[in-house]
Amino acid sequence: MDGTVMRSPGLRQTASVARVAPALVVAPCLVMGIVGGLIRAGTLPSLPQDFVTTHAFLMMCGFLGTAIAVERAVAVKSATAIAAVAAFAAAGLLTIIGLRAHAAWVAVVAAALFFGVNVRIFVRQPVAHTALLVAAAIACVFGNLVYASGLHSQTAIAWWFCFLVLTVAAERLEITRVTRRPRGAVVALYAIAGMLVAGCVVKPFSEPQGNLLFGLALLALAAWLARFDIARRTVRAEGLSRYVAVCLLFGYAWLSVAGVAWMASAFRYATRDIALHALGLGFIFSMILGHAPIVLPAVARIELRFSPILYVPVALLHGSLALRLAGGAFDAINLRMGAAGNAIAIAVFVATVITLVTRSAAPASVGGASRTQILRGRPRNRPARTTR
Amino acid sequence: MSYPYRGSEALQEPIDKALRRVVDPELALNIVDLGLVYGVTVSEDEVGVRLTMTSEACPVTDLILHELGTELERVMPPEAKILLDLVWSPPWQPEFMSEDAKASMGW
Repeated sequence: MDGTVMRSPGLRQTASVARVAPALVVAPCLVMGIVGGLIRAGTLPSLPQDFVTTHAFLMMCGFLGTAIAVERAVAVKSATAIAAVAAFAAAGLLTIIGLRAHAAWVAVVAAALFFGVNVRIFVRQPVAHTALLVAAAIACVFGNLVYASGLHSQTAIAWWFCFLVLTVAAERLEITRVTRRPRGAVVALYAIAGMLVAGCVVKPFSEPQGNLLFGLALLALAAWLARFDIARRTVRAEGLSRYVAVCLLFGYAWLSVAGVAWMASAFRYATRDIALHALGLGFIFSMILGHAPIVLPAVARIELRFSPILYVPVALLHGSLALRLAGGAFDAINLRMGAAGNAIAIAVFVATVITLVTRSAAPASVGGASRTQILRGRPRNRPARTTR
Repeated sequence: MSYPYRGSEALQEPIDKALRRVVDPELALNIVDLGLVYGVTVSEDEVGVRLTMTSEACPVTDLILHELGTELERVMPPEAKILLDLVWSPPWQPEFMSEDAKASMGW
């Protein structure tokens, strides 16, 4: 499907500004989150302000929390959803300017609002995958509460990962509805989600047992996705569909690596960096790279033409991650170079997306559905709300 | 045809082709084969399409609607209006997919 264009409705100036605003907020969170990671890996020298211990918060709450909240806001179009976006973004920005304690409690408010948004989605469509979205939001609330109360930072990280992994699981569960999924598949996924949550609950009381449960859940999820997800089929398609599938399959492979590493850490093996980054970069970022060409046009109201050049940052990400995780355990240079490669891969991806947007935003390719009127599921006997 | 169609016979084929050009980018399936189109009504100056999405949490709904509007504008007479009615009842079911789509997903 080379040449697929995801067009935006209208491309009106004001709407564009409102939609580009979140990007301006998530960008500093992403950049300073990455800077913190590079300082921790020894790639960059320390800065006067501590960005090392805020690395996980900026990446998972400031950047991804805001990005996921934006995705929900685009779908549900409610004031609470927009407030959740603003609160996540504020938490990220407060962290960057050094107001870490304030940021942590703002993030609790953000997660609570985000929980409300997902409950609303569940009430409107009470099915298996929307229930999992609610569970993901609850994990985010717990993660932010643990972080704000300063109880156990490693537990906060586990809850944040639980939030992200359950969000992905919910979205994949939704999409597997197009396959002939056995009834037991949903039950199995719920059991896996339960094990993931159990890992987070147990972790502050017994770290090895918590990590063991968490790792086992990740490994089981990788097996579930390998068995039931559509990526195995759509990888045989062309263009954008194949690109998404490739990113997903790489992500699932790293998810299994992460599962083994979390379990190994329970037996005192030094696999913490592998556990965190096979999951955060290998799995979560692979999902982002895969879905950004689909979701960005919807969120930012831009046009983005698919190009095989998008495979370049994907290859860079997975190559540098392999170097970091395989070589980093033996050699600090591999860790530093791998971490630098991870950051370069993300920068190359952002640059590639910007190039593709600029190219396809030429006036000739901007189609405006000017004669089209859209009615959105209006209740009976009520006038239609129309959008153009 | 996998959805009820009412109106001009001459426009039936071009409209059907326009609908089938709107593709879910991740599934590599068009909206007709996915079973998202519930009905098409064509009058002298308007084409109305009733359709749904697989999930209310889907962030690409607006893009699919816009893509559909643009494709229909290409095949309809210049004075004709396009009315897209996004509905949630009946909720989409996997059984609504075409036989070809089911086969591509391993049914």
